[in-house]
Amino acid sequence: MSTSVTDRRPPTPAGGPGPTRRPTRRPPLTQKWATARERVTAGGFMAPAVLLVALFLLAPFVWTIYRSFFSDTRTSPFSWFDNYSLFASDPALSRSIQNTLMWVVGTVALPFVLGLAIACMTNAGRFSRLARLCVVLPYALSGSAVAVVWNFMLTTDGAVNQVLTGLGLDSLAQGWLLTWPGNTVVMILANAWQATGVAVILFLVGLQSIPPETLEAGALDGASGWQQFRHIVLPQLRPVSIIVIGMSLVNGLKSFDLIWVLTQGGPGRATETLAVSMYNETFLELRPGAGAAIAVVLTVIVLAASWLYLRRQLDVKGV
Amino acid sequence: MSLGRVLRNTVIAVLALLWLVPTWLLVVNALVPAGSYSGSPHWLPRDFGLFGNMSQAWDKANLGPALGNSLLYSVVSAAAAAVIAGFAAFATIIMPVKRQALWFWVIYSGTLLPLQVFIRPLFLSYAHTSLYDTQTGLVLIYTAIAVPFAFFVMRNYALTLPREVVEAARMDGASWWRVFWQIHVPLTRSAMIAVFVFQFVAVWNDLMFGITMVTSRNIRPVMAALADLQGNYSNVGPPIVLAGALLVSLPTVVLFFSAQRFFVSSLKIHR
Repeated sequence: MSTSVTDRRPPTPAGGPGPTRRPTRRPPLTQKWATARERVTAGGFMAPAVLLVALFLLAPFVWTIYRSFFSDTRTSPFSWFDNYSLFASDPALSRSIQNTLMWVVGTVALPFVLGLAIACMTNAGRFSRLARLCVVLPYALSGSAVAVVWNFMLTTDGAVNQVLTGLGLDSLAQGWLLTWPGNTVVMILANAWQATGVAVILFLVGLQSIPPETLEAGALDGASGWQQFRHIVLPQLRPVSIIVIGMSLVNGLKSFDLIWVLTQGGPGRATETLAVSMYNETFLELRPGAGAAIAVVLTVIVLAASWLYLRRQLDVKGV
Repeated sequence: MSLGRVLRNTVIAVLALLWLVPTWLLVVNALVPAGSYSGSPHWLPRDFGLFGNMSQAWDKANLGPALGNSLLYSVVSAAAAAVIAGFAAFATIIMPVKRQALWFWVIYSGTLLPLQVFIRPLFLSYAHTSLYDTQTGLVLIYTAIAVPFAFFVMRNYALTLPREVVEAARMDGASWWRVFWQIHVPLTRSAMIAVFVFQFVAVWNDLMFGITMVTSRNIRPVMAALADLQGNYSNVGPPIVLAGALLVSLPTVVLFFSAQRFFVSSLKIHR
């Protein structure tokens, strides 16, 4: 991995790293000075970014890991893995894990399938451009705004129940956000309503980069529409697919605002995901140790997911 | 028209309609004058009370200062992140730096970590340093969060630039500072704009830091104000909440559609 990012490097007076260093002729003193000054200047260019990241992101990250091994009481003694064992003993946290898993499946599968279908079907034609706009539009909304809209759809006297009653299906009308697992499912649908837009955009970019000759050749060989899709389009879309899956996976794991504004993780703690549980434990239940442990577990999952897709992405880009 | 085409167009139309319903309801019901809202959702616009609802949302959620704050946070943080990331990308790609891979991972690692892992340590240190509940505090956090991804995009873009221009300028005795501002920045302008738009939207949409690092109504960003308004859903009435949501979404919607070109091209590079 590390070699894939050490790439083009300009020829420098001091020569390249390690093995490519010029074997003979030591540089004169003035040149040495110049090189040192170059280094300092380069450091100056990097310093703001490195300092901000180190101070605001990496240091807090390390602190959170450290904190997760201490208990929640005022004196906070070292408690080994007690906070992590909460995942096994606390029913709210096991529910949170279940919900997180549902979110991951729902936020990867739905935008992927819907985005791919919509992008392929609307790739040509003016009418389809309009249809596409309808799907992409929600992507510009924030999670909080999406939550406001969907609350309006899902409350007891909301639009969904109104439609059901209007169709004579009163029996199906219900408090959508009140019972588990239905409430998590409808929130995942609300999320998909918003997130499919970006998948559509990405798949379109991918579709448009497929050379038309390839498709024509396929058509000449008598491939049917479905065969063309299966054997020509889909393989060409692989790099984009990886990005779409990776993005939705990581976003789904981290999503906070939609759930927070819609249900605050409730009723009870039924709709919490790890992202929401962490906030809840830390700032509302005032159990910073448990909160830190949840944050660490979430980070491990996000890192594992990112690793899976980043590896592919860096390969694909050919850096 | 073949059967397949008909089928396909039907599916497209159904999906588009399905997608449009929530957006349509949002707009139509934000139009209903709050006083005459009957308690059940409207499906067709009748009276026009949008501006009345917006101004009520404005007053009840204190949207004025919130919008101003979010504008400040988004513009300053996104611009700062674009420039700072531009510096770092320039240094790691163009300048002779040792251990490029190490620096890449130090900066880029920030995008991989979920925000939940930073929030409490930042909260505590802000409480100790009186950055808590200040605009500076939020700008710093948002900038720090924006830098890693901005760096990733700027770096990708810098990799595609011809190296000869920079070398020629260096031969002519231009300082790195000068090379950066007069050659690198103009060449990477489109990537910088893409980064700015991305991060503007991300900061504008943030809720978590907005409700954690702030208590005052005149410091909090706009999504915190919206969440507050939503919390009063039954008191204020749906039309006002929806009008508020519409109002705070307008900037990103407009920006998104006017900058879609940049989104797409930067995603292309990104691949």
